[in-house]
Amino acid sequence: MAPWVLLLPTIVGLVVFRIIPVGGSFYLAFTDWNLLRDPSFVGLENFREALDNPAFLQVVSNTVMFSLLYVAGVMVIGLMLAVLVNRKMRGTSFFRAAFYMPVVTSAVAVGIVWSWILSPNHGVANAVLQAFGITAPYWLGDPAFALPTVAFIQVWKMSGYYMILFLAGLQDIPESVKEAALVDGANSRQQFFRITLPMLSPTTFFVLTVAIIDSFKNFELIYAMTRGGPQNATNTLVYDVYLNAFVHYRMGYASAVGYILLAGVALLTYMNFRIKKRWVTPNF
Amino acid sequence: MKRFGPLCVFAILCVLAFLTIFPFIWMLSNSFSSESNVFRMPPSLWPDLLGKAAMWDNYKSILREFHFGRYSLNSLFISGASGIGQVLTCSLAGFVFAVMKFRGKNLIFTALLLTLMIPPQVTIIPEFFIVMKLNWLDSYLPLIVPSFLVGSFGTFMFKEFYENIPSSLVDAAVIDGAKPFAMYARVYLPESGPQATTLFIITFMNSWNDLLRPILYISKDKMQTVTMALTQFQSQYSAKWNLLLAGGVLSVLPLLLIFIFLQRFVIQSSMSSGIKG
Repeated sequence: MAPWVLLLPTIVGLVVFRIIPVGGSFYLAFTDWNLLRDPSFVGLENFREALDNPAFLQVVSNTVMFSLLYVAGVMVIGLMLAVLVNRKMRGTSFFRAAFYMPVVTSAVAVGIVWSWILSPNHGVANAVLQAFGITAPYWLGDPAFALPTVAFIQVWKMSGYYMILFLAGLQDIPESVKEAALVDGANSRQQFFRITLPMLSPTTFFVLTVAIIDSFKNFELIYAMTRGGPQNATNTLVYDVYLNAFVHYRMGYASAVGYILLAGVALLTYMNFRIKKRWVTPNF
Repeated sequence: MKRFGPLCVFAILCVLAFLTIFPFIWMLSNSFSSESNVFRMPPSLWPDLLGKAAMWDNYKSILREFHFGRYSLNSLFISGASGIGQVLTCSLAGFVFAVMKFRGKNLIFTALLLTLMIPPQVTIIPEFFIVMKLNWLDSYLPLIVPSFLVGSFGTFMFKEFYENIPSSLVDAAVIDGAKPFAMYARVYLPESGPQATTLFIITFMNSWNDLLRPILYISKDKMQTVTMALTQFQSQYSAKWNLLLAGGVLSVLPLLLIFIFLQRFVIQSSMSSGIKG
């Protein structure tokens, strides 16, 4: 009796705010609903509409592109920062703190200040580029540049987080192994690629999993910077759900988009764990 | 990496740190500029109001005319309450999962962890409907109550910690015949100060920075959170960059202060969680 009483808040919360919404959204994905009338069942119509619509296919490709840029960016820069601050040197704790600072800042504030920096007519970024004779593009106004620009800013914001994750892994590599490699005559590049990277692979796998899940969380930044524009160029799955549900009041269609997102997340997570078996070398 | 001299590493770190910190400096400096100075081209590197009598004008205006003081207090209340809620419910649930044996325990725990992976956009539509039916729109209840009920990451963290509590502490309480809740309140919870602090900070920050739920659930002006108010101000007064950036400074300042003074806990949280929000 006692455990159930003590777990009551968790069970109520789990059922009301998670299990019922997940189930409800699955049901809604097969309906037409504007929140006012009762939902009417339409079968697979929402999914058919989504997959037939070039604008939606662009949303999917935007999402994939954003994720690729984000995952590659934070993994490379995060590892680089971790290697740079993983040494006994004065000031490393300052640098670690500095790189972590954007992580705790809201995506909204980050989006606003970067919109200002990148502003085409009054931004400091273009003024600097102009001084070097470079004509800067309309970063956020040009459909060809908007998505990579938003992805870059998310990478700028989050790299410090991945630095900390990599740092934990780097500090687990025993000094003795690195010293042995140096004694055997390995240079620092060999030491990094033959010793550090392979021994880091459990961490790298973990970080990759985190980064992939994290790469879908771009709603706030897109809301603050582009609202999905220009011409749908930065509209991603999470933003498209919001747009269809709470701007166009197409709850059924938005639920179907949500489930397509969920299917993607689930598939990627599953693939990760399948690949893990082959990729990760035994932990020492 | 030995090929780089230490000086070279230091130089690279300085450049990277500058690129990281510059947007913050730029936000701060522009928040002390007049409207005409903000739009000057090429950009003036020095804020023209700094040191003058009118230095705090942007801040006065954003705080008084645009109610950012009120919004900050709203955010403080919502985030603080959410943090307390998460610490209470997650420590209790973590205790039950760590210590007690009962049927269905693994099922509930698995459900808790699986639902952690689901993006909020997947569940937000039915959640909105539930909130609407409960008559919670335009109140802080939908932003706070869920935090008092369920938390996956926090429960997981407390469970891991409570499983390793030394039995010497527990045995004494068992001999005294303490009931489970008394065990939790007198033995387990007081032992987990660092975990509670870490979870409070993560929840506080996530709640402070949240945008989706406030924009869906709050429409009364005076009730807005500061993060949400920034986006509203941005779309209404798109040319008032000096005021907007002053608002931006106000909105990030509390979290940066928490970060500076409680760095250990904040960084600890990303080491232990790996998954945020």
